[in-house]
Amino acid sequence: MDFHGEYRIPAPRQRVWEALNDTETLGRCIPGCESIQKTSDTVMSAVVQAKVGPVSAKFTGDVTLEDIDPPNGYTILGEGKGGVAGFAKGTAKVVLADDGDGTLLTYAVDAQVGGKLAQVGARLVAGTVKKMADEFFGTFTAIVGGEAQAQSQAQSAPVGAAPAAVPAAAAAKKSWASPLTIGILVIAAILVIYFVVT
Amino acid sequence: MYNFTYHRAGSVDAAASRLAESGDAKLLAGGMTLLPTMKQRLAQPSELIDLNEIDGLKGITVSGGTVTIGAMTRHADVAASAEVKQAIPALARLAGLIGDPAVRNRGTIGGSIANNDPSADYPAAVVGLGATVVTNKREIAGDDFFTGMFETALDEGEIVTAVRFPVPQKAAYFKFPNPASRYAVVGVMVAKTASGVRVAVTGAGPCVFRQSDMESALSGNFSADALSGISQDADGLNEDIHASAEYRASLVVVGAKRAVAEIA
Repeated sequence: MDFHGEYRIPAPRQRVWEALNDTETLGRCIPGCESIQKTSDTVMSAVVQAKVGPVSAKFTGDVTLEDIDPPNGYTILGEGKGGVAGFAKGTAKVVLADDGDGTLLTYAVDAQVGGKLAQVGARLVAGTVKKMADEFFGTFTAIVGGEAQAQSQAQSAPVGAAPAAVPAAAAAKKSWASPLTIGILVIAAILVIYFVVT
Repeated sequence: MYNFTYHRAGSVDAAASRLAESGDAKLLAGGMTLLPTMKQRLAQPSELIDLNEIDGLKGITVSGGTVTIGAMTRHADVAASAEVKQAIPALARLAGLIGDPAVRNRGTIGGSIANNDPSADYPAAVVGLGATVVTNKREIAGDDFFTGMFETALDEGEIVTAVRFPVPQKAAYFKFPNPASRYAVVGVMVAKTASGVRVAVTGAGPCVFRQSDMESALSGNFSADALSGISQDADGLNEDIHASAEYRASLVVVGAKRAVAEIA
């Protein structure tokens, strides 16, 4: 199954990239995220309390980042296991591009669902992923876009105001994290699992 | 299944106050989705508040051009009701197409719409027939009730008590079921009412929706031919190994035509 979508975030690409690699920001944006931490330079692990319809359950998912190309994008690999119910795994390619004052984020997810899930559960996966992605980016845009706005106001402030901190390109830092993905993959896994029920 | 407390409510008010007191309780109607979810350990409510013994929530009344169905009325009872068959045959037929006999004899209209599964049948009836959802606090227009996948306009602790269907001039329901689950791959309710034509589609997207292009076309000319130039956009529709988004889009058009042909 393939899903794709795009979001326009009113903040510079560098800032979006940093936020996409900041576990704290990610944790705030992933719906139901209880904890998120990186276990190595390229692996992060999240615990998500998923609430979709009748389902209210806790899932753990790991994602690995590949093809890291700051501040242009990365590829996320994720896998979620639902025991006897089956599994879901997939990759998400996230690309950032300048779009006027803002940043255009596009994502393409290729997901595979196996086991019982594939037979029964798949019908809701696309809708759920879309919904989770919308919630994730809604919050993400509010946080990152809100900061950018506050910053530009500060910049246009009267003389005396310190030049708004230009976030030093933390490009030197190795990025590893990815939010979206987790959102997408963990949730896809979750949902998939859920479908088993139906 | 995890442990939980079972509580049988004697009235809607009692159920509502119990729900408010108990932090993590769930209402139990037919349990056709909730119980399998709990068996898979995908939900862990601390308490189930059973609505099955509340007599006031059951039954069907037809009067003055309105069919009122209590929230705890079973699908099988709607399907078999002589009054519903006479007033809105499409509604009785829809109820008879839900799930299998076990589901129809346990599942309820209130439970179905409160759950708002994207592939459930009743949302197509509520929206397609322009029904009103009655709760313990207010009345909600069918068009405003279903807000997204598994999401409704219901507040926390709000309980559906009945659904009121205005009797249409004509209505028909087309359903293309998944042969295993009997959920609607696509379901289309077409109704000609005093206030216009309504076309509601379930199963195809993340939530029931009205097909406004078809509604306009049918308002001028209520015949299957009026739909020949109309297509359904596949973008955003559901997709799985059983049916692609494009296939579902195609089924929406075919289903609408067949429903119209049945009653035109």
